Amino acid sequence: MKETLHRRVSRIAEPQILFPLIAVILLAATWGATLGLVRIKHAEAEHDAATLSHELLGTYEAQVVRVLHEIDQTLNLVKFWHERAGMHGTLAELKDRGLLPPDLVFSVGIADRHGTILESTRPLGAVSVADRGYFRDQRDGDSIRVGHLPQGPTGDGRVPFTRRLNAANGDFDGAVIVAVDAAFFVSGYDASKLGEHGVLGVVGTDGIFRVRRSGDSMFSGDAINYSSLLPKPDEADADPPVSLSSWDGARRWNSAREIYGFPLAILVGLAQDEQLAAVEKSSAVYLWRAAAGSLAIVLFTALLGRMSWQLAQSRLRESESKLEHAQRVEYLAYHDGLTGLPNRSMFSKLLSQRISEARRYDRELAVAFLDLDRFKQINDTLGHEAGDQLLQEVAARLQGCVRDSDTVARLGGDEFVVLLPELADGKLAATVAHKILGVLAKPFTLIGHEFRVTASIGISVYPQDGQDEQTLTKNADIAMYQAKAEGKNNFQFYSEKLNANSLERLTLESSLRHALERDEFRLYYQAKRDIRTGCIAGMEALLRWEHPDLGTVTPMQFIPIAEETGLIVPIGKWVLKTACLQSVAWQNEGLPPFGIAVNMTERQFLDESLLQDLASILKSTGMNPQLLELELTESLLIRDVEKTLRILTGLKSLGIRIAVDDFGTGYSSLATLQRFPLDTVKIDRSFIGDLVGPSEDSGLADAIISMGKSLSLTVIVQGVETKEQAEFLRAHACDELQGFYFNRPLPANQFAQLMRAQTANITYVGTRAGLQNQQP
Amino acid sequence: MPRVPRIKASALCALVFAALAATEIRAEDIVVIVNPAAKAISKDQIADLYLGRSGGLTPIDQTAGSAIYAQFYKQATGRDVAQVKAIWSRILFTGRGLPPKQLPDSAAVKQAIAANPNAVGYIEKSAVDASVKVVLPLD
Repeated sequence: MKETLHRRVSRIAEPQILFPLIAVILLAATWGATLGLVRIKHAEAEHDAATLSHELLGTYEAQVVRVLHEIDQTLNLVKFWHERAGMHGTLAELKDRGLLPPDLVFSVGIADRHGTILESTRPLGAVSVADRGYFRDQRDGDSIRVGHLPQGPTGDGRVPFTRRLNAANGDFDGAVIVAVDAAFFVSGYDASKLGEHGVLGVVGTDGIFRVRRSGDSMFSGDAINYSSLLPKPDEADADPPVSLSSWDGARRWNSAREIYGFPLAILVGLAQDEQLAAVEKSSAVYLWRAAAGSLAIVLFTALLGRMSWQLAQSRLRESESKLEHAQRVEYLAYHDGLTGLPNRSMFSKLLSQRISEARRYDRELAVAFLDLDRFKQINDTLGHEAGDQLLQEVAARLQGCVRDSDTVARLGGDEFVVLLPELADGKLAATVAHKILGVLAKPFTLIGHEFRVTASIGISVYPQDGQDEQTLTKNADIAMYQAKAEGKNNFQFYSEKLNANSLERLTLESSLRHALERDEFRLYYQAKRDIRTGCIAGMEALLRWEHPDLGTVTPMQFIPIAEETGLIVPIGKWVLKTACLQSVAWQNEGLPPFGIAVNMTERQFLDESLLQDLASILKSTGMNPQLLELELTESLLIRDVEKTLRILTGLKSLGIRIAVDDFGTGYSSLATLQRFPLDTVKIDRSFIGDLVGPSEDSGLADAIISMGKSLSLTVIVQGVETKEQAEFLRAHACDELQGFYFNRPLPANQFAQLMRAQTANITYVGTRAGLQNQQP
Repeated sequence: MPRVPRIKASALCALVFAALAATEIRAEDIVVIVNPAAKAISKDQIADLYLGRSGGLTPIDQTAGSAIYAQFYKQATGRDVAQVKAIWSRILFTGRGLPPKQLPDSAAVKQAIAANPNAVGYIEKSAVDASVKVVLPLD
């Protein structure tokens, strides 16, 4: 009950209810007040009219009574004189004495017992009044009688009043007559009070009007119902009600009263239409004002309503935009801005949720981690915009090849994850992984060029690969690294063994980050020997990592990680600087100025600041650039010929020598190689593996050496491990040799000894035996 | 005083002109007379006196049905006989006064005025003699 009441009240406060309600209340108040006022004014006017009618009656009564008494006094005076004197000339004598009323409206006459006029102050119109009622009645009575005029307009007709004359013996002896202008009785008609339709009149107790006046019209002689004219005795002093005047059909407040002692009554009437005219006029004014007020109220509330509606609308819009903003913020918090996919936070939540569901319904679910292969290179070479475009396209393709119930999320960078929550068997994830690799294999068009990317996918399955979100995620990540290790563009399911491998890799990666600052890198040096003299002709600096726990880690193990993580750049700088410092140090010791070769990876070579870094290293160490040789693989050189040419030209301008490593594996044409400013070619060991065997291999090696020579380059053969190989190469005019057969890579101090020994003229043959002894 | 409707008033004006045109030939000029000892009196005072609007002096009338009566009221007050009657009826009815005493002829009027210093009357110009003083000729 209370609630519904509260709801009703608050509903009333709504603008579409409130303003019409206020309008209705104001209108009701306005009209209630107006109609009330009109009614009150009406009632007041009616009361005033009735009161006025009553008051006028009182005044009129006093006047009429006075006149009647004067008339009666005249009648009695004449009667007295006539009866006493009993002769003619009564009237003349009385007139002379000024005892008769003015001639203006009164005339006096005396009739004998036969009705014949004996004398009169003015002609009475008829010589005999014998047949008149007012005369005849006097034969039988002794009271005042009042005659009446015939029915019609009054004109200057007179109303006769009579009293009986007695003879000395008391017999009837005629009558005294006082005739009074009928108009006289209504001469007090005041139009300012009675209006044009009021009435003032004198009526006989016989119900016949002696005279009545309305405005300027006077009538006499018409009969009315006398008893209905007079008020009931107990209402005599009350204000009269409105009644219909039977003589003329007008509605009036009629007041009537009998005159004591005379057979007459007086009547005062106020016309309803005239008395109420003023109040009706003012009522009309009130009603018009109320109508105008109503219009104003309606307009005002309509205006208020409209303003309030607009306010409500703008508030609604504001709250909508707030909600929209909040939704947007929430969306941004849980989605990746670039692709619109759920982000890591949302993925974590979803995964936790799905794990609970899988647990409850005893289902399996799979988490597939996906990392684009070589995405960093694409981003670096084509720019971020192209990289972003690629990510968006990948996101779209991923979403296109999973079910609605599956979730694709972007964890950051080029890492995506696909959550497959409804799997009967976790192994079915392989189908999805196949499909994903398939859709990603199709070429992408970025900034107008077609590109192909591949991805590596790692899959972990609930429940066997993890019971919680973190474990599943971590294991999918491990499986993904395994897929990368397996040569990319494939997928791997997580297994315990994977975990171990991956752990090793992760350990390497994390300790690699600290290797530089902890000074765990060492440079080893391997000699290059002149093929004819067997003397040291130069050296190659080789990087070793002395891991505090794992011992010496080979470049094969950690260089790919360094390359992938980008750590290769600072490491490479360290290598160059260390090699240069070492070379300079040896020269200062007095050792001969040997050339020193340093390997470069792809990432180092493409690094924007390579030339700058090299220039500063050369400057700071004081290294002669002619002694520094950078080794680049053939495949790296020919990847982007124009760019390579640009970088190589830059290197040459610094005075640095350039060597092609693994020469012969890149299938580059002679024409291409000719364009590069090369100094040295190093022939890959694979060409000399079986030189002494079938003549095919030896022919190939011969051809490659010849090619190098034809380009006027120094030709070095790598990986010479046997005496036979060395002999063959010497025979084929190779320049320098390098390999275990001649020298294993040595730390700086041991290599220095080697050089000092040579300087002390120790022969090549002698040392060889010594070296052979060192081999394990 | 009863209100005279406008239409009637204009009709009356027309009648008055007609009457004046008629009486100019037949009727004699009327003069207002007072006792020789009395002071002068204006036409407005005469009208007020004879229509009951002021007192102080005693107005004396001729007979109501006479020609001089009608002519006097017409010239002195601008009212016809019926109007004068209505006015005096009302005064009489409401008890506020009595109409002037009517005397039968000009000789009686002169006599009454000669006898009363406060009296005012009217007679034909031709009837004037030394017993009275003319204060206002009417035309």
